[in-house]
Parts: sequence; structure tokens; C-alpha cells
Amino acid sequence: MKNKNISQIVLERIKGEKIKPISRRIFYIKKVLFWTVVTLSLIIGSFIFSLILSGLFNNDWDLYDRFGFNFIMKTLPYFWLGSFLIFTILGEYYYRKTLLGHRLRYVIVIGFYMISTIIFGSIFYFVGIGDVLEKSFIDISPVYRNIILNRINFWSQPEEGLLSGIVTKIGNEEIEVKDSNGLIWSVNINGASNRNQVNLFVDEKIKITGDIIDDSLFVADEFRSW
Amino acid sequence: MDNYPYAEQTDNELVRLSLSDPNQFLYLSKRYEDKLLRYITRISKFSRDEAEDVLQEVFIKTYYNLNGFDPDLKFSSWIYRIAHNETISAIRKKVARPTVSLDSEDLKNFTDSFDLSRDLDKSFDRKLINQALSKLDDKYHEVLVLRFLDEKDYVEIADILKKPVSTVGNLILRGKKLFKEEYNKLIINKNTK
Repeated sequence: MKNKNISQIVLERIKGEKIKPISRRIFYIKKVLFWTVVTLSLIIGSFIFSLILSGLFNNDWDLYDRFGFNFIMKTLPYFWLGSFLIFTILGEYYYRKTLLGHRLRYVIVIGFYMISTIIFGSIFYFVGIGDVLEKSFIDISPVYRNIILNRINFWSQPEEGLLSGIVTKIGNEEIEVKDSNGLIWSVNINGASNRNQVNLFVDEKIKITGDIIDDSLFVADEFRSW
Repeated sequence: MDNYPYAEQTDNELVRLSLSDPNQFLYLSKRYEDKLLRYITRISKFSRDEAEDVLQEVFIKTYYNLNGFDPDLKFSSWIYRIAHNETISAIRKKVARPTVSLDSEDLKNFTDSFDLSRDLDKSFDRKLINQALSKLDDKYHEVLVLRFLDEKDYVEIADILKKPVSTVGNLILRGKKLFKEEYNKLIINKNTK
């Protein structure tokens, strides 16, 4: 297969059109960016997994018998599960963009990512980072508190015997609790069991099971800390 | 074939030299000129002139991105990847269905690789081999060309096509099977006419 002297033509074009190679720095920055995104996805994914564990371990599983499968559906940390999925896809996508990222099958890359985030996320949870993160989110973000955290929604069903809120006043047999909608409830705690030996004080966030009597009166069977 | 200065230099050394002096790029491009021109014509329906135009763009793009070449990858895989992408892009612009055009050497490589003499027990028919290859889906077609005509190994093919190595293995296996089926069908059709 004999052809024109293409290499010579190309060289003349390079010289004639003054073509210069793109700066090495651009490729270096691109490479660093891809690996940064991959690493960040792994770290953030691990934090998210610790939040998922926090959500699962802190869930009130003793109520499963009362509410059944509906309890799981209502209290799963969907936002964090969704975020975990998004960061897994992001990590996999950008890993594939790295120089040799294409050599491994998708399932292996995703599997490696998930196993790594599960291991690191579990470590983060067991050293207490998951709980600290969740409490921080609850404190700083009203959005997180009201929408993202299903547990609050679950515990805001007084007609179902579930009430939660901040203690605003403490009496001998009755306390006042402000729920997530800002409503003040009078809660009769006479005879109610104190599930995890909560020391009641003003501004303490608690969860209460019992029965609704009227629009602002609730009789507690049991109360527990948030 | 390297009857020019720097014949002893590796591709990576020539890349380094080309970056400091564009004239050295001539030796690098010369090294790949014939191989890539054959590759482009094998995976496209292009005439010689069209293939040469594509090849020019391949070399320009290679030079333009020379700083982006990472020695963790073989230079040949990298430049084949550029050639592959540029050819596919040119095919799309032309809206042409890629096909294969085999010369005598190609034909021998291909039939040897496939054990066609044993499996098919037929004398080789270049026209039918071309037809059978052209009937294959692009994904099988391109791996078969790279494996059996350009004699690339699985990792190189994976690097050129940016596909997982195991996927390349599966595509080659399936592609061989489909090729033999197509070829058999064409032989039977020919014999019944």
C-alpha cells in the first residue's frame, strides 16, 4: 500500500499553521481533577454510608411490630440512599475517565467503590462520625429536619399515637412539647415509661408514644430521647 | 521498515524529541503511516484519498495532544485510539456503513487466525470474507480487525476502544462465531445458486 508522503504533508501543515501541542499543564490539571472527583466521591460516599448506618441503627425498630412493613417504608433514609447511589455513579463515571479506567468492567469498579465506602463508612459510623454528622445536619438545616429526615415525619403523627418535639415546660405530671409544626402540646406523662432513662429538661428533644385526647392534649405511654 | 534516523528510538523517546522539535514528529508519524492507513481503510468504506485525509487529521490531532500522552499507555494504543475515533467521526459525517477491504496479506492473516481452512473446509473466497465481515455489527467488526489484522493483544484493543479487557475478549469470541456463521451462510447461498 504505497501512499502520498502524508507524514511530510503533516509536518508542513504543523509548521505552516504554526500548530503547537496543548500545554502539558492542561492535561495535568485534567488528570488531577478526575482523580480528585474520584477520591472525593469515595470520601463523601463513605460519610453518606455512615449516615445511612446512623439512620438505621437509631431507628425505633421496637415499633416495627406495631406498624409492620409500613414502618420500614416510612423511616428508611431515602435521601442518603439516593445520595449514596448518585456518588457511586459519579465515582464510577470519573474513574472510567482516568487513563486506564476503561480496562475494568463496570461491575468491578462499582463493586470496589461500594465495598470501600461500606468499609470506610462503617469505620466512620463506629467512631461516632455518623451520629455527629446527623446531629449537625439536624441542628443547622431546617430542610434536613423537616423534609429529608423521614424519622421526624414518622414521629409527627399524633393521630397514630406518635408525637415528637422539644420540651418547653416541665410539670409534675404534665409537660409541654412543641412539635415540628410549632404546635404546643400538653402531654400527660403520669405512669408513662421512660424508655432510655431520659432526664427531662427544657429544650430536650423527645419522642412520645401514646394517645391523642384532643387537638393539643396527649397522654403518653412511653417517652424516649431523640 | 525503519530506514530513517532514530530507527532505534522507542516511540516514547520520539514523543519526547517531537515535543522539543516538531521535525522529529516526522519520524514518529512515518513509523505509523502505513499501519494506520491500512487500519483506517479496513474499518471504513473510504477511498484511498479519503483515508489519507483522515490520517492527516489523525497525525495533526496526535501532535496537538502530544503532551497528553501518558507513558502508562503504549503509544501505539494511544495513536490507534485517535485513529479509531477520527475514523468513526469521519464515517458518521459521511453516513457510510463501515466495511472491510482485505488485501492478500490480510486475507492470509485472517483465514489463519480463524482456522477457516479447518472449520469451513473451503477454499478461501476473499469476496465472501469481505461480505461476511461487512455484515457484522460494528462492535464485532472493529475488534476482529484489530485482533486478527492489526494483531493487537486484548489489553491494547481495550486501550484503543476504551472498553474493559473482559468485554473485548467476549466481543472477539462472539465476533468469531458470528463471522463463521455469516461466512457459512454465504458459502451455502453461493453453492445453491
